[in-house]
Amino acid sequence: MPALQENAETVTASSGKFKVIIIKNRCKECQLCVTLCPTKVLVRGSNPNARGFRYPIPKFIEKCIGCRTCEWCCPDLAIFVEVVGG
Amino acid sequence: MRAEYVTSNIAIAEGAMASGLKFFAGYPITPTSDILEYLAEELPKRGGVVIQLEDEIASINAVIGASWAGAKAMTATSSPGYSLMVEALSFAIITETPLVVVYVMRAGPSTGVPTRSCQYDVFQVRYGSHGNYELPVLVPWSAQEAFDLTVKAFNVSEMLRVPTVILSDAMLAHTWEKVIIRNPGELKIISRRKPEVPPQEYMPFKPGEDLVPPMACFGDGYKVMVESLTHDERGYYSPTTEVQERMIRRLVEKVRRNSHLIIDYETYFTSSAEYIFFAYGSTARSVYALVKELRREGIRAGLYRPKALWPFDEGGLKKIASEAKRVFVVENNVGLMYKEVAQVLRDKEVISVGIIDLDVPSPDRIKEVISEWL
Amino acid sequence: MVVSKQVHPLDKYVRVDRLPHLWCPGCGIGIVMSAMLRAIGRRIGEGVFKEEDIVVVGGIGCTARMPLYLNFDTVHAIHGRAVPFAVGVKLANPKLKVIVVGGDGDIAGIGGNHLMHAARRNMDITVIMVNNMVYAMTGGQLAPTTPTGLYTTTTPRGNPEKPINVVKLVASLGANYVARASVTHPALIETYVYRALGKEGFTFVEVLSTCPEVFGRHIGIKDAAQLFMELREKVKVKAKPSLNESYYDWESGFVIGEYVDKDDPGYLRMFGLLR
Repeated sequence: MPALQENAETVTASSGKFKVIIIKNRCKECQLCVTLCPTKVLVRGSNPNARGFRYPIPKFIEKCIGCRTCEWCCPDLAIFVEVVGG
Repeated sequence: MRAEYVTSNIAIAEGAMASGLKFFAGYPITPTSDILEYLAEELPKRGGVVIQLEDEIASINAVIGASWAGAKAMTATSSPGYSLMVEALSFAIITETPLVVVYVMRAGPSTGVPTRSCQYDVFQVRYGSHGNYELPVLVPWSAQEAFDLTVKAFNVSEMLRVPTVILSDAMLAHTWEKVIIRNPGELKIISRRKPEVPPQEYMPFKPGEDLVPPMACFGDGYKVMVESLTHDERGYYSPTTEVQERMIRRLVEKVRRNSHLIIDYETYFTSSAEYIFFAYGSTARSVYALVKELRREGIRAGLYRPKALWPFDEGGLKKIASEAKRVFVVENNVGLMYKEVAQVLRDKEVISVGIIDLDVPSPDRIKEVISEWL
Repeated sequence: MVVSKQVHPLDKYVRVDRLPHLWCPGCGIGIVMSAMLRAIGRRIGEGVFKEEDIVVVGGIGCTARMPLYLNFDTVHAIHGRAVPFAVGVKLANPKLKVIVVGGDGDIAGIGGNHLMHAARRNMDITVIMVNNMVYAMTGGQLAPTTPTGLYTTTTPRGNPEKPINVVKLVASLGANYVARASVTHPALIETYVYRALGKEGFTFVEVLSTCPEVFGRHIGIKDAAQLFMELREKVKVKAKPSLNESYYDWESGFVIGEYVDKDDPGYLRMFGLLR
């Protein structure tokens, strides 16, 4: 199973336990999620979205503990976490 | 129906209740406070809510909110209070909120003479709010007419989704007269048109054939956007010239095109009149007495009395004044509606008779001014 | 411009065709909006009120733009007058669940008189005041909540005024629920808004917020994450602080928590208007 998947709308990464979904065009590159993630799952991306903001990539998804700090601290409804397997 | 001996203030309150008033918010101000007091007693008996709020600004904003919650809503004030309300009325205009404001003019400027009368604010009531728009203003001359025109004001505001003003004055406010108070069942009561499409297809500011959008209210399930910024049919902010022009033109046209529902006037002794008097509100009562006196003296005088000041009646006035030699505009101010009359009757001799009087200018006082012109 | 359909779990409460919203990168208002929607979702799930009964009213300012993005009956009213508008809505139809959102200037500056009297009446509405300590929308003028000494565009030599402690003011007027939260602790925003939505009477939540573009720029911290950390340093959490601890001071910090939580009859109950 590929850890990282990207389409026109989202970039998604999944570990065996948690899935992080980023809605690319909503992101404003504020870096709150990247800075506040306690296990440093996220890195600033290199690709700009439609507005020129570089959305983050959940590069180290295997470190995700599902705390949802990114989801709750994102001002833009641009990132959320799902528990794998319901 | 029943006959009562009441003041214009009370008649207005009764007219509002007969129209289905369900929410009144107000602030005490002379000479209007007794409308708030009377409704505080009576409206709850009919299932309505009355609240005295902290100022006029709170009152008018609460009335706008109540209207959007589905209630027929009204506030009442005097000249200094209306000055506080004009910003919120601009908001009511752009959001196309049905509501009625009772405006009882009193001598100003500023605190002036709170208990005495005037007609100074006839332009302020129409143009006080910023922006470009039309605002219907009805102007009774008696307590009976105050009752009748309040019912009409509610109907106009609901039909056209526009704030409508009942313009009275301190003299009428506390003059006791006989009024036939009709019950709701005896009156034609009109309420805002509801949407006929389901929520997914509804746009809160998309007009019907009459240029008025059907109005879904809070809780109806339509998820409306009540927007004070310039907006398109969805209520979404849209700062483009195209949308701005479309919105402004429609706000103006929806009243102008339907002005036949608002404009009304009475004429007295105008057939074959050489001199036509234009007068409104309490001043018209003196002019009526004067015209009768002049006729007894053999002078062919007649009175044209508008019952709506705004939109201004051009067609009716032109017709009534078509054979007149001279037109006198008699008002209790420095000569304001005179400008409108002179503009419409620009091929006639129009004379401004602006008399400042803390009560109603008496027929004698008016006669003194105009006699050199007869 | 790619327009999202409903993707995020909160999207059902959002007018997604209007996203991305207009707030600056790192602006705390978005954090408040999400927390508020979670609290609303919880209460809807419990059957406390229905989605169709929610009315969200905002005045003018950055925070007050929130209603434009919410998928309920919403209002963008005039500056400072969201509270009286909301009062009219609630009294005309008590079944509606009425929420006011606004900034510190809109609610406590120009709107101060209406705030005070609605609190005094224990009017049955919820007011969420997002406090970024500046008039941001218009470019950074002084707010009633701007800390003493700070630069603003209208106090270029430093603010000579003491800021207002809105929590203490509203509490002194007898509101049933008064809490202070912070965008740096989003879970507590949700908790306090959830509590506020479940009580009658006047329920008030102040949320300290970050404004990197304007306030942050004025104090020399333009980076959103850095400003967030700076505020987080200054915030102390206490579950049930007393009003003596509600001091509002950028230097000594802020205590967030539930300051008042009581159950006096709300205005509707007092006047027999509960339907």
